[in-house]
Amino acid sequence: MLRVLLLLIFIRLELFSIELVVIGDKNFPENNLTRQEVRAIFLDKKRFINEKKILVMNHKVSHPLRQCFEKNILKKTKRSLERYWRKAYYQGKRPPKIVSSEEMLFLYLDGVSPSIGYSDINATIGREVTVLYRVECL
Amino acid sequence: MKYLFIFFILGYSSFLWGKEASYGWDIPNSSINIGGYLDTTYDTKREEKFLFNDIALIFSANKNRFNLLGEVELSHISLNGKSNNRSDIDINLERLQLNYTLSDTQSIQIGRFNSDIGYWNQAPIPILQDTTTTPHIVGIFFPKATTGVLFRQDINEENSFSVTFQENKDIAHQDKSIQVNRHKALAYYGMHNDFSWRFSLGSYRESTNKKARYIGIGSGYDGEEFSIQTELFKQHSDKNDEKPYSGYIQSTWHFKEKQDATFRFESYEDNSLDIKEEIYLVGYTYRPTTNTALKGEYIHHSKLPLNHFVYSISVLF
Repeated sequence: MLRVLLLLIFIRLELFSIELVVIGDKNFPENNLTRQEVRAIFLDKKRFINEKKILVMNHKVSHPLRQCFEKNILKKTKRSLERYWRKAYYQGKRPPKIVSSEEMLFLYLDGVSPSIGYSDINATIGREVTVLYRVECL
Repeated sequence: MKYLFIFFILGYSSFLWGKEASYGWDIPNSSINIGGYLDTTYDTKREEKFLFNDIALIFSANKNRFNLLGEVELSHISLNGKSNNRSDIDINLERLQLNYTLSDTQSIQIGRFNSDIGYWNQAPIPILQDTTTTPHIVGIFFPKATTGVLFRQDINEENSFSVTFQENKDIAHQDKSIQVNRHKALAYYGMHNDFSWRFSLGSYRESTNKKARYIGIGSGYDGEEFSIQTELFKQHSDKNDEKPYSGYIQSTWHFKEKQDATFRFESYEDNSLDIKEEIYLVGYTYRPTTNTALKGEYIHHSKLPLNHFVYSISVLF
């Protein structure tokens, strides 16, 4: 009985877990980023890489991956992010550009370098992008 | 008039309910953004109880490595249209700063900017804070604004320091804070996940030739359930003006999605006022949208007869 239960839990986790990948354009100057580096880029603390300004893209509030990204990579709640961006805007910083779809994200990644965003790993298959950081969303 | 204004704010807030927070207005086909903030207060201790404390315009633009940021403000406008009790409206330049990114980790900034000292001074307007009133430190221990140069160096993603230098007149003509013609400061900022800490020291010379040195530390925690911020400063100047210490600890409990309760305890000693006292604050904040805040707070002084209630509405637009 216990084995069946464990098997069911395992199957459920396998079926419902999504791997989120932080992706850069194909010529992105780095091949890997640490979580702290990704966080600094998405919070507009690090704007340049190899002396070039980075185009940073985020998904809409309603996007299923956004919550996972904020929780696991930015390590901030919705409320603390709101507090952060209110202050950051006053200091002249801007939140990432919101993309309305995955297609739009890949369109910018194809056209702008350096640019960065995040996606479900399955959506990157066959795309020319640089995988910079990975995290499992349960 | 004031009720009409409150209804406007609430109507505006409900229109924005559930939408992605927006910050200012991006002028199409340009890198220019224009926004601002306003806050109105009702203070039971003040002669003019209802005031538009600040109506400010913030503009920013960036091009390649350059970033321009400006803030122009109308302050203390009463219902009869007077600013600072004068009939001519006073417009003040709060900030005008040009930032140039030298490299991935270094930047330099010139102009008039908020001094990179302490926590509160990084965001000294009510919409960005959990309370309408400010701790005793603000505007008393160090110059709120600097007209000069600031160099910032990121040590890594979580640690940075800055050096500030001013050796000229303040370009703004009016300020509630200390106005200086010399200011030198060093500040360090570090963070790890929800924790952060700051250390600052500096010296300044006021327009009146009074000189002072200051040192301060602070730390913060910004979590899901609650946040805590604490700062402690010491100022050394002429014996009669010495400010041996001033510190506060402020805790905000996020008890509902849009509602907070705030408690603040302050203690200070100020030789210029010949006083040593404690201040207690208890407050409530309701944020119907990300960029709107309705607040009420009670402030109790242990010695000075300044106990009062303050209510405010503030909007970032």
